[in-house]
Order: sequence, then structure tokens, then C-alpha cells
Amino acid sequence: MNPILSFIVILVGIYGLSVSKNIIKSVFCITIVEAGTILLFLNLGAYEGGVIPILSSLGIEIVDPIPQALMITTIVIGSTITSLALMLCIKIFHHYGSIEWKVILKGDK
Amino acid sequence: MSPLIRRISLVLLLGFILFVFITSISDFSTIYNDDGKLFYYANGFQDTGSYNYVTGIYLDYRLFDSLFEAAILLIAVAGVMLISEHSIDEKNATFMLDKQKTPELFITFSRLLYPIMLLFGIYVIVNGHLSPGGGFQGGAIVATAILILYYIDITKTVNVHVVLTIEKILFIVLVLTASLSYLTRGVLFTNFFRLDASLDQKAIFLTLMNILIGAKVSLGLVAIFTAFLKEGR
Repeated sequence: MNPILSFIVILVGIYGLSVSKNIIKSVFCITIVEAGTILLFLNLGAYEGGVIPILSSLGIEIVDPIPQALMITTIVIGSTITSLALMLCIKIFHHYGSIEWKVILKGDK
Repeated sequence: MSPLIRRISLVLLLGFILFVFITSISDFSTIYNDDGKLFYYANGFQDTGSYNYVTGIYLDYRLFDSLFEAAILLIAVAGVMLISEHSIDEKNATFMLDKQKTPELFITFSRLLYPIMLLFGIYVIVNGHLSPGGGFQGGAIVATAILILYYIDITKTVNVHVVLTIEKILFIVLVLTASLSYLTRGVLFTNFFRLDASLDQKAIFLTLMNILIGAKVSLGLVAIFTAFLKEGR
């Protein structure tokens, strides 16, 4: 996997955030950006033929464990952010009766 | 400005960002080095007593990070609880899933799968320092196993406020356990056994922390899902 490909995934997420007309789609785009970030970091320490970072008789051919330990944090925080955002979406729908950005930004019911 | 021009300029801007990234990534080896990997490979097992280097990092070297990660999960659960508070009585709120609509096949297989998933989740939590896994991953599996119970019987539910209280207590216990190392080693947020302790003693700390984190994560996810389920009225 190339780091450039994972960066393209991040850019696709940012593009989606800019053009999406629906709140749910915006939340999905946040998760796409998050997935791209995870891929980018995991690419940092990984290389062809590397094994999982667990002590074994396979020698020093392990991938870098530091980005993996950091990305556990990202996954948990990403899931919590998604759940919080979706709960806000539900509340917005109950209040405005719509989840389109156009209707919400007008501010009327 | 028409939407077409706006989108074209947006694509051009993102293309420029990609170009900057590609030009900066050409000398990638100067940005990234594997000194950290070599250090963990040389000292990680002796320092932390963990076969799994990732567990060794997030439960020993970077325990401070993991504590704040657990804190963020707690804050998010509390936030979901706060937002989902509604004035309608719980009696009037009906559940999204209807028992009549749930297929019988789902219910039967849920009954078969539920104990196996619970067992597998606990296995992943307890063996976090020996094999792939750990508190966060195993906690998610245990939470999924508990959530399968909603397929079996939708009328049974948990009191989310009690779950939140248990989670707060677990977080305090987690911080206290992490701070115990100040008494033995003189340093906060690391293993509370001494550096020259045997591997089994260090494994006690790792297993304890994994179980605490796993319980906390599973309770948090169950609370979030239950709040969403009650929202579907």
C-alpha cells in the first residue's frame, strides 16, 4: 500500500464534507477521513514481509508497533465521535424535521 | 458563483494539496525512522513483560494516552446520555426493534452465538499481552455479544444511568491502579511492579488493566447502543 493512496482517501473524505447536502453523509465523510488517517499511519511502519509485532522466533522482521498503538486510540475516539454526531443528527431531525443542510441553516422549522 | 465552478475550484485545491503531499513524501525516509521500533524490540519485553509490543506500549510506556482515551470514551457516553434525554416518559417510548418482526432464525442463532461470542471476547481481553487483542478490542466483542441479547428479548433492557455510574467508578479505579506505580517505582502511570520483577508479576498488572479497560469499553458501547435504541420511537 502506498501512502499516497491513503492520502487520496483523506482528500475524498474532505471533498465529501464540502459538497454533501445531508448531515448523515457528512458524518460518513468524517469516518472516511478517519479511515484514511488510520491507513496512512499504519503504512508508516509497515513494509513487505513484515510480521505482526509480537515476540516470536521470527526475528526482527516486525512492523513498527508505535503507529498501531496510536491507531487503537484513533479507532476508539472515532467510534465515539461518530456515535455522538449521529445522536445529534437524531435530535436535529426531531427539532427541524429535516436533515438537509439547506433547511437547517435557514433556521426555520 | 455557480456550483460547478465551486466544485471545480475545490477539486483543484485538493489536487494542489495532493501535489504538495507527493513532493514532500519523496524524502519520506528522512521523516520516518525506525529507532522507536528498534528500541521496543531491544527493551520492550524486559521492561513491560508483554509479548505483544502494542499492548506493552499502550499499557506501560504510553499509559497516560490510554487513560485519556478511556476518559474520552466516558465523556462521549455521558454526552450521548445528555443529548438523548427526553421529556417523554420511558413507558411511552417503544423500541425500534419489534419482537414480532424479528425472524425466528435470528433469535435461534443469537441464542447459539451469544455464549461463544462472550467467551471469545473474554479470551481476547485476558490474553491481550500474549496474542493479538487487548482491552479495547475484546471490550468491543463483549459489547456486541451483550447487544445480541436485544435480538433474543427486546423487552429486557438495562438502566443506562446505572451503567454510566459503574463506568465512572471503573474509570476512577483505572486511574488509581495506574497511579499505584508512584508508591513502588516513584513514577506515575506505569507498571506498579518493580522493573526487575518476574514476567508473571508484570503480567498480573497487564491482565488487570486489560480487564478494567475491557469492562469499561463494553459498558460504554452497551450504554451508547441502548440510548440509540430508545431514541427510535
